[in-house]
Amino acid sequence: MLYLPGPDDMLVLDIAYMIYLKFEEFPSALRIALFLDNMQYVKQVFTSCDGLLRKKQFCYILARHGVTFELDDEIVTDDDDREALQEIINNTKLSEGYLTLARDIEVMEPKSPEDIYKAHLLDGRASAGANVDSARQNLAATFVNAFVNAGFGQDKLMTVPSETSSGGTTGSWLFKNKEHGKASAAASLGMILLWDVDSGLAQIDKYFHSNDNHVIAGALLGVGIVNCGIKNECDPAMALLADYISKEDSTTRIGAIMGLGLAYAGSQNEQIRGNLSPILGDGKAPLDVIAFTAISLGLIYVGSCNEEVAQAIIFALMDRSDSELGDPLTRLLPLGLGLLYLGKQESVEATAEVSKTFNEKIRKYCDMTLLSCAYAGTGNVLKVQHLLGHCAQHLEKGETHQGPAVLGIAMVAMAEELGLEMAIRSLEHLLQYGEQNIRRAVPLALGLLCISNPKVNVMDTLSRLSHDSDSDVAMAATISLGLIGAGTNNARIAGMLRNLSSYYYKEASLLFCVRIAQGLVHLGKGLLTLAPYHSERLLLSPTALAGIITLLHACLDMKSIILGKYHYVLYFLVLAMQPRMLMTVDENLKPLSVPVRVGQAVDVVGQAGRPKSITGFQTHSTPVLLAAGDRAELATEKYIPLSPILEGFVILKENPEYRED
Amino acid sequence: MLTIAMGNLFAVSVKWQKEMFPSVEIDTSQPPLVFKCQLYDLTGVPPERQKIMVKGGLLKNMSLSVTNNIFFGQGQKLMMMGTADEIVKAPEKGPVFMEDLPEEEQAAAVGHSAGLFNLGNTCYMNSTLQCLHSVPELKSALLKYPHSERSNDLDQSSHLLTCATRDLFNELDRNVKPVAPMQFWMVLRKKYPQFGQLHNNTFMQQDAEECWTQLMYTLSQSLKSPDSRENPETVKELFSTDLISRVHCAESGEESTETESVYSLKCHISHEVNHLHEGLKHGLKSELEKVSPSLGRSAIYLKESRINDLPRYLTIQFVRFFWKRESNQKAKILRKVDYPLELDIYDLCSDDLRKKLESPRRILRDEEGKKLGLKSSDKSTVSKDNDVKMLDTEGSSGSGESSTATSKEGIPSDKQEHLTGIYDLIAVLTHKGRSADSGHYVAWVKQESGKWIEYDDDNPIPQREEDITKLSGGGDWHMAYICMYKARTLSM
Repeated sequence: MLYLPGPDDMLVLDIAYMIYLKFEEFPSALRIALFLDNMQYVKQVFTSCDGLLRKKQFCYILARHGVTFELDDEIVTDDDDREALQEIINNTKLSEGYLTLARDIEVMEPKSPEDIYKAHLLDGRASAGANVDSARQNLAATFVNAFVNAGFGQDKLMTVPSETSSGGTTGSWLFKNKEHGKASAAASLGMILLWDVDSGLAQIDKYFHSNDNHVIAGALLGVGIVNCGIKNECDPAMALLADYISKEDSTTRIGAIMGLGLAYAGSQNEQIRGNLSPILGDGKAPLDVIAFTAISLGLIYVGSCNEEVAQAIIFALMDRSDSELGDPLTRLLPLGLGLLYLGKQESVEATAEVSKTFNEKIRKYCDMTLLSCAYAGTGNVLKVQHLLGHCAQHLEKGETHQGPAVLGIAMVAMAEELGLEMAIRSLEHLLQYGEQNIRRAVPLALGLLCISNPKVNVMDTLSRLSHDSDSDVAMAATISLGLIGAGTNNARIAGMLRNLSSYYYKEASLLFCVRIAQGLVHLGKGLLTLAPYHSERLLLSPTALAGIITLLHACLDMKSIILGKYHYVLYFLVLAMQPRMLMTVDENLKPLSVPVRVGQAVDVVGQAGRPKSITGFQTHSTPVLLAAGDRAELATEKYIPLSPILEGFVILKENPEYRED
Repeated sequence: MLTIAMGNLFAVSVKWQKEMFPSVEIDTSQPPLVFKCQLYDLTGVPPERQKIMVKGGLLKNMSLSVTNNIFFGQGQKLMMMGTADEIVKAPEKGPVFMEDLPEEEQAAAVGHSAGLFNLGNTCYMNSTLQCLHSVPELKSALLKYPHSERSNDLDQSSHLLTCATRDLFNELDRNVKPVAPMQFWMVLRKKYPQFGQLHNNTFMQQDAEECWTQLMYTLSQSLKSPDSRENPETVKELFSTDLISRVHCAESGEESTETESVYSLKCHISHEVNHLHEGLKHGLKSELEKVSPSLGRSAIYLKESRINDLPRYLTIQFVRFFWKRESNQKAKILRKVDYPLELDIYDLCSDDLRKKLESPRRILRDEEGKKLGLKSSDKSTVSKDNDVKMLDTEGSSGSGESSTATSKEGIPSDKQEHLTGIYDLIAVLTHKGRSADSGHYVAWVKQESGKWIEYDDDNPIPQREEDITKLSGGGDWHMAYICMYKARTLSM
């Protein structure tokens, strides 16, 4: 169905939805509805189905997709039931499930950055000169610590056992970071307590009383991170952050604005729009505040085509002076605009027309960004060709729009496996004869195509590029090595990065990138994934993709953003973080351990007989981890899963026809 | 919602961390402080630290009934944030970051000194300098060297070379980035014009050993303090080995002894030599032809040398190069000769010296034994071993006797550090290539931190200790040419 030209593809999906609904294959119908991004259909699935348990399963699917969906009386009449269902959609129990998985796999023990660097495996150079703190290395350790211990609620730097906490130890690591580094350090506490709103807020609270603006900014951002993907009736993130968005200090403002963006991504929250939109039109606001506001609004209204937000960002872009348009952070404005149209294809056209009137400096950049966002995840071959065409030009005036064009190729082509392979080949060509600004974006594009899916050929290409003589290419390739291995604990990438860390031991910037990549590879100690696709690669979570491409756009100018003072853009990745697990629960939503077969997914379409859907499988008992390209099936007849696709949380109900042998 | 009109008293539920307080009475006619005090009783969080959240709003300290857009209803859920934890304070003294340090302190933090730029085939000089730079005593002696005036018995160029060495060593310590040894290079050429040889308009590669010897010679001349009271001859004391040789003529039966002091021991490489020790033994034996007064003609004399006094820093040169007449160049012996990280030269010493070394060695061995966790019962066996060995080497003299002898005569009382005859490798100068005048010289130097750094001209590369012993030759890889060992001393 993905290979059909429009509008036939939509019609086919529509019919598929009807058929599924008719034959009461509700979970499949729900997936099609989500694919179409049609909330009316989603509602229809809920109303057509009457089993509470099945509705709970729908809620798990919605929660994984990251949509904001309010249940009303029409869908569920009973108040208690509605509350229970809403709780699932709100992801309230995500932290609990994740920790159950961690305990089952026995990885609760916190890891320190040194455990990740494994410097003892290298010849002496890595640990040379550890007697003086390096602000950059400490910052890297902060991020590594945050990524590795994400969601576990404990680590060896930021949290201390409550008995010994006298403010001393926890404060000491925080203050081992320099100025803006303290913001990232304070925010890292949010990452460590990811999804656990109750204890997260309690632990971050102490930073709110600091007299250091960087620490407060970090605390605000941390609140946003903790609440990322979680909704709560009391809306703590909004309550805490709203007051800070109009503060004097721009670091504090950015912390609050970015925090709101992360906490309410995809929610289309009117109240926040009311708070944030005026900043865009504020002539006195500094450029960085405006840039982060645009991104946050883009995230909150991701894929909504919201006119008002679009207008606000367009005006903000038009107001920029010539010199401001040359600032590296300005690139976030067109991106914020693009996020509004993420995956919405033709809907972008009106805005794209408007963008043609922009200042010459930003016009093409904006054009590329809008196009690539609008067709992200569609696999539209014509758009890939269009973007490739832009990359084929040899520019002389130092224009920057080819970077987003290269990223765009990856964004469009990532939709399905075949197009993805073709895009990897095309990117290889760009490396051969592309200009320097294209070569710098290619590693990032490869990183997006294979995110959390370390393909060997891409790994080799990136490994080669990570030794490139152009340091920008090398940095991008290093970060991308982290992205493709994110959350896999891939030993080969870990080895490559270790070698890179000794190769670049003298170059602080590159070493920083290597450290970040090492942190990413061990993301959540290997329990998390950054892949925005789920449900057997059918559905694309818009917020997850938005988070990744925001980081990638920031990586287009590594030196002034990530290596400058805006390193906290790395936290945008939190939007894409999801446990790569299969957790089976019983009818009371309590974890239930059953045997499952996990193996390489194979295409079964068009095969005769009763084809096997997986090959080379092993039998484990749940909860289990699923790698990219893996599929699970129940190895017992005792239970019936309520979702045909075994991913994330799956409710099992007992099979009435089962009899013990 | 018209809840306000309906009354002022509601029961609300408050969530705090993981706890839930199901029914807390709230009176909206009272100021919020009252409610906060209620919560203080429940949670112990002081009111000023409480943040109470209601549906996206924060409870302000205004009157409850007019709090912006917040209405309370029966069973309303509130969330409270706040802890009684201590507030984080910045430490009095923030940490010092490497990025903020001036460059010289960064050098200390990096843990090794800078590299030296190659000025055109000057790797032989760079590697020599890096090896000598690792001797702190030499550095301090150079520091004491007077700036301007020179003693009368020293020529101008030697004085300048010494100054240049001092300045260069200083510069190496101060910098993180590589240093260009311009001044030194100029002065060296002035003093020893052979290093200024040109070939096709570029300076030729030279033998590092020659550079080493000449530099050492100059320093030994210049670092003699005029007032001989304090360290009369620093360089000699640090580097020179006294040899006592017995010259014996087999034909005539003549025998004589002579003493000499050398700055390096030679390790001769022949077909039988596989290890440094064998090479050294070989090097201490030589045959010479001279006129025998008793025979009245020239005869073959056998010269056997033994070490009579040990230096703090033992330099060993592998005699890898020999003049090949056919090809008219210094050819290289590629034979693999192993050398240890820890060298014991006890059996190359003269009997007198052995006696002196005996007691410090025993103590050192005991200490090491203790370190390795041997129990006191084992100690007796260790000392017994000692005794046996001593009997072997010294004939009839007992251990007790020898130790008393040592304390009586051996070591001057002002010397606290005792040599043990055991040496640790601290620097290796290697050569890669097929002849002395070509190829590449590199210095491998052990830092104070115990880490090894390979100084390949301007590029210091950390190395593992295991890899240092792999420089023993036998292929086309870097092979040791000069090794410098530092004495393991014992303070008693």
